[in-house]
Amino acid sequence: MNIHSPTNRNVQVLGIDAGGTMTDTFFVDSDGDFVVGKAQSTPQNEALGLIASSEDGLGNWGLSLDAALKQLQTGVYSGTAMLNRVVQRKGLKCGLIVNRGLEDFHRMGRAIQAYLGYAYEDRIHLNTHRYDPPLVPRNLTRGVVERIDMSGTVVIPLREDSVREAARELIAADVEGIVISLLHSYKNPAHERRVRDIVTEEIGRSGKTIPVFASADYYPVRKETHRTNTTILEGYAAEPSRQTLKKISDAFKDRGTKFDFRVMATHGGTISWKAKELARTIVSGPIGGVIGAKYLGEVLGYNNIACSDIGGTSFDVALITQGELTIKNDPDMARLVLSLPLVAMDSVGAGAGSFIRLDPYTKAIKLGPDSAGYRVGVCWKESGIETVTVSDCHMVLGYLNPDNFLGGAVKLDRQRSVDAIKTQLADPLGLSVEDAAAGVIELLDSDLRDYLRSMISGKGYSPQSFVCFSYGGAGPVHTYGYTEGLGFEDVIVPAWAAGFSAFGCAAADFEYRYDKSLDINLAPDAPADQREAAAKTLQAAWEELTHNVLEEFKLNGYAPEQVTLQPGYRMQYRGQLNDLEIESPLPNASTAEDWEQLVDAFNTTYGRVYAASARSPELGYSVTGAIMRGAVPIPKPKIPKEPLEGETPPEEAKIGTRKFYRKKRWVDAQLYRMEALRPGNRVVGPAIIESDATTFVVPDGFETFLDGHRLFHLKEV
Amino acid sequence: MNIRVRDKDLDASTGGIVRGGETLKQHRDRIMDATKQTGCYAGMETMALRDSQPILYNKLFSRLRAGVVDARETAKKIAASPIVEQEGELCFTLYNAAGDSILTSTGIIIHVGTMGAAIKYMIENGWEHNPGVRDKDIFCNNDSLIGNVHPCDIHTIVPIFWEGELIGWVGGVTHVIDTGAVGPGSMATGQVQRFGDGYSITCRKVGENDTLFRDWLHESQRMVRTTRYWMLDERTRIAGCHMIRKLVEEVISEEGIDAYWKFAYEAVEHGRLGLQNRIKAMTIPGKYRQVGFVDVPYAHPDVRVPSDFAKLDTIMHAPSEITIRGDGTWRLDFEGSSRWGWHTYNAHQVSFTSGIWVMMTQTLIPSEMINDGAAYGTEFRLPKGTWMNPDDRRVAFSYSWHFLVSAWTALWRGLSRSYFGRGYLEEVNAGNANTSNWLQGGGFNQYDEIHAVNSFECAANGTGATAVQDGLSHAAAIWNPEGDMGDMEIWELAEPLVYLGRQIKASSGGAGKYRGGCGFESLRLVWNAKDWTMFFMGNGHISSDWGLMGGYPAASGYRFAAHDTGLKELIASGKPIPLGGDTDPQNPVWDDLIKGAVIKRDKQAITTEEMFADYDLYLNYMRGGPGFGDPLDRVPQSVVDDLNGGYLIERFALSVYGVVAKKEADGAYVLDAPATEERRVAIRKQRIATSVPTRDWMRGEREKILAKDAGTQVRQMFAASFKLGPRFEADFRSFWDLPESWILTEEEIGVPHYGSRYSMDVSELPDVKTVQFVEE
Repeated sequence: MNIHSPTNRNVQVLGIDAGGTMTDTFFVDSDGDFVVGKAQSTPQNEALGLIASSEDGLGNWGLSLDAALKQLQTGVYSGTAMLNRVVQRKGLKCGLIVNRGLEDFHRMGRAIQAYLGYAYEDRIHLNTHRYDPPLVPRNLTRGVVERIDMSGTVVIPLREDSVREAARELIAADVEGIVISLLHSYKNPAHERRVRDIVTEEIGRSGKTIPVFASADYYPVRKETHRTNTTILEGYAAEPSRQTLKKISDAFKDRGTKFDFRVMATHGGTISWKAKELARTIVSGPIGGVIGAKYLGEVLGYNNIACSDIGGTSFDVALITQGELTIKNDPDMARLVLSLPLVAMDSVGAGAGSFIRLDPYTKAIKLGPDSAGYRVGVCWKESGIETVTVSDCHMVLGYLNPDNFLGGAVKLDRQRSVDAIKTQLADPLGLSVEDAAAGVIELLDSDLRDYLRSMISGKGYSPQSFVCFSYGGAGPVHTYGYTEGLGFEDVIVPAWAAGFSAFGCAAADFEYRYDKSLDINLAPDAPADQREAAAKTLQAAWEELTHNVLEEFKLNGYAPEQVTLQPGYRMQYRGQLNDLEIESPLPNASTAEDWEQLVDAFNTTYGRVYAASARSPELGYSVTGAIMRGAVPIPKPKIPKEPLEGETPPEEAKIGTRKFYRKKRWVDAQLYRMEALRPGNRVVGPAIIESDATTFVVPDGFETFLDGHRLFHLKEV
Repeated sequence: MNIRVRDKDLDASTGGIVRGGETLKQHRDRIMDATKQTGCYAGMETMALRDSQPILYNKLFSRLRAGVVDARETAKKIAASPIVEQEGELCFTLYNAAGDSILTSTGIIIHVGTMGAAIKYMIENGWEHNPGVRDKDIFCNNDSLIGNVHPCDIHTIVPIFWEGELIGWVGGVTHVIDTGAVGPGSMATGQVQRFGDGYSITCRKVGENDTLFRDWLHESQRMVRTTRYWMLDERTRIAGCHMIRKLVEEVISEEGIDAYWKFAYEAVEHGRLGLQNRIKAMTIPGKYRQVGFVDVPYAHPDVRVPSDFAKLDTIMHAPSEITIRGDGTWRLDFEGSSRWGWHTYNAHQVSFTSGIWVMMTQTLIPSEMINDGAAYGTEFRLPKGTWMNPDDRRVAFSYSWHFLVSAWTALWRGLSRSYFGRGYLEEVNAGNANTSNWLQGGGFNQYDEIHAVNSFECAANGTGATAVQDGLSHAAAIWNPEGDMGDMEIWELAEPLVYLGRQIKASSGGAGKYRGGCGFESLRLVWNAKDWTMFFMGNGHISSDWGLMGGYPAASGYRFAAHDTGLKELIASGKPIPLGGDTDPQNPVWDDLIKGAVIKRDKQAITTEEMFADYDLYLNYMRGGPGFGDPLDRVPQSVVDDLNGGYLIERFALSVYGVVAKKEADGAYVLDAPATEERRVAIRKQRIATSVPTRDWMRGEREKILAKDAGTQVRQMFAASFKLGPRFEADFRSFWDLPESWILTEEEIGVPHYGSRYSMDVSELPDVKTVQFVEE
């Protein structure tokens, strides 16, 4: 959905969502108007797809790429490439160095990784549990002799010969990255850094170039399974992404931009692509959508939002409760436990491009986890894909228009899908082609529905109190399927669903967040001088972090006075294993009274999150971390508001009918052109609303209403 | 049946607290009578709410269940104990006014039954009138004589009121790290009577107006070694209960009390029907017989008990018979089980039956509809006086799991035969592992505080193989399918023990066409401890699980500990030290590295407190699961993969699997397919050569039985079973065709059988009404 404005434009912000299948661009001008561009993703060189998508979008404004790029003030990138690389285990070949004797811990997945991401029923159903392959196989894991205890004291000094041996073996095995994670290195990093230096030395000696990642340099937090997984991600998945981002940045600079691209990060703000901890951007694309939903919710007054996003390769769900994003500090993602501040969200590797196969022994239908990505499926002859995908099923069932995929840029052949489904699925299962295809869609929908339900109920809510936002290129095709029967308060499909994550990126704050581990412990009856000292320790950490934040902004051309700072801290009752992140009520702290205010803020939050009776002030308090967030204002997109017209869609919106198969029967679905529908229009199923970028399916039993903000509301009738 | 009694139906004088005006006792009696008369819970032959408003019913269920799950996830963050915070050893359950569970969170869901039993005990014993049950009261219970599994599982129970009337209860349970037993750790060994099990609390009112009493706080905090953990665990339970109480109040204010009230009873009947349908869908009617054993090796000097009558080796015996009827009802009978004993492995009937039901939720009824309906859908017979239904109030319970896990693994085999017959090959499971070792002990820790430790790494044992794939390695425990071995960095905060190894335990999973999942092992170095002790707890001489359809059982346990290791010097001088795993215990490597050390390496896998000093070593070995099918049918490449992955000790590839593998220059094994084929043919020939007809074998065995030619422990075990299980004896006699004159009694064996003739049940105490849950 593109808004045209006759005035001379000043294009300011570019939001990018590079999905596994499609690359969306979202341009915002100085009036807040926006335009969406789409093109197929080009994983070999993402810049190509990005430029094509930009040209597509800017074409709507009659602008050339070069003209627009010169005006641009900032650009935000988000993408799913890194996550897909992890889900599909297609990252770099990394070596792992841990303590000798503990080489198995990474592949053991702490047992918890056998059922992560499961719904309640499967969590208790033992025979369904399974492990994904480890990111680093056991035969590329080496142990070095050393031990440091929980307080940072050396138990066994580092035996450097064991390090050289490990390094040489991994170098000889031609690894593309070496990750080091030793127990308690977050507390005393000396051994780990020494291992890093020796490994670097050995690499130098070998004449090879292999990046080295020590966990203490990246994620110095307790819990080795989390820390090690996260550090491995830097080598396994983030480094390839950094190369991609550099290419993109260079390609745009060649065309006249003057800024460094920012990337959507897990904490919900954006960071530079040069940032050291780039694994923080693992789920950047989906987070863009969440930020967009939050922004839309703020403008339109939705408090509780379930954000759901289906692209070609994955399904992502996040919740906004009472207008707030939830931040998890030891989240799991892609069935791995991690140690990142993350907008709480979960993801399954099932999307429109997911391959469908039959288990040769059990004939069980298997969806994914790998995906055709941008190559759609067998229906696109030029793709070279031979295995049936979810999109092929859509093609057979009449969900998609073979002549209007990406506005006709890609011609699809329904018969190719029919033939492939017949031989690969229908005949072996003894079903008709349409029943096999419909079965696959039903299976996918029910998987997604259960997932959505478990996510919401896992948070202790029911869908009735939530508005569900459905977006992503393939979202509106499945919206009815995965929301049916859940009883959401409302189900909303933005008319710019396909560019929604890019929209969210454009709406995101430019925000850096720095964390520092602290170990402040105070008895409940600590005298004033100790409380004052504690406040000063925290303040010193804040000042250090402030310096870091301001430095980052300086690199991007912002003066300190332009930056809004928000200090925070992590606090717990002494002896506990979990802390709470508290936004500081004070801009700075230096006195015993300040300390009391910090403690009060913690006690208030603790009582709200848990229960008043769970407060344990008699144990005393620990501050485990200091946090500093700094943000600068950026232009954000305006939400359209148009007057409502009649319920009946204009005739010119109708673009024919298509045979549509669902629940064992063919019906004639009325086709509409999304851009031609008017605010106030009501469309009753069976209907398919098409635009170049997305297809919104409204089957019989459903209807949808287009409101003045260009949001479709889907409901069961 | 109308669940609610209207005020006008009752005498004004009755004045009970339950919604409608009944007393708790009247209410429960009425529900139980109606259940008995109709076979349907509370006499509900139809379900008014579910039938007329199915959407509302489902909404109520989904919302409440989600809330209970969320309460657990949220509340566990309050705890400081890694057992709760990391291992998730807690559970919250919502009950109706009669004390029957409506729905539950995940976690240690055995307590759905045990907390219900506590509520029922309060109802039957007039708690309503003294000490009174009022809104915002808090009750605490851990009494194993009325249903708890063992004293370390502490229950917090809070009544829920609506407009001044009681409409239900919520219970929360955590597994605490110490209960002030004779020895440190939550499941201490060594005491042989309940009085040594530690702090015991019987449904005590410990708070009102949502506030704990000061006398309770002062008393309870000094009754245990680990006070801080105890306090925060209690706050975890109370917070969770209060979150759920609040949720129920919100749901009622939105959906109305009538709907909630109906739901609270219909859900139980729904659960009963759910189980029945599942049994119909998954099993084949008939009788399934199986048996479980485990060792109690108390004669060894490292088991220090206070009483001479407890100082002997015995074997736990648990034969079981599952009868499945065509209508989906079923009965489990444990006739022939051994007597309770002078050890800490006895179990109350409620923990025994609730635990079986936990097992069922992992396989037969893995649905969100988990509640007491399943209990009403299952008939149990546990003969009085057996270890799972003791008739003496002196018995100890602190590690009842030693027997429970060993008895239940047999039930997996019974059910799996049924699944196999129906073609549910993926559901087949050769059985649960023996969930051990338990590393426990105490003394002064690295913070110079009195401390107890109780590692929960064995929440991640190997699982049994299925009929289509290997069991999962280091993954789960029968008492909590959501296994979690915990981060080492967290255990090191809780224990003055440094990790020198954490490794998959090769060959710990039973061999088979599909092998059992392997366990793992942790090597711990004592570090910064003072006056420290530790002990072992697990199976050693007996594999408590069995393989299925030709699969092998998992390896049994053993212990490894080393004192006076000289490790301080070895570390300082840079010499090799024990690291990683004790890969092949038959050909140990470590022992040569610490020459001069005092090493304990044997099958004595149960011990009592033993002193440890810094630089001593302790091996914590978590067991594997049993295998499925003949190992000779295993795909040879899978055996080679097991060798390369560290799941199999090399020599067993040849001897058990008949697989010939060669080691390449890079250390990896590759398959020699022709040699493997040849080897397997040879093994099959060998098997035929050494086999004898069953009749001949039985004839020989019968002669041995007639001559009573068996070990003392075996004779004692059978004699005890015969005494308590006359039908078991009759079956045994007729199967082996034994003459009437053949009699085996405990008296003739010559070992102590103290307690076999005189016993006194808790129900014989004045003013105590116990609640009967099973046929005896």
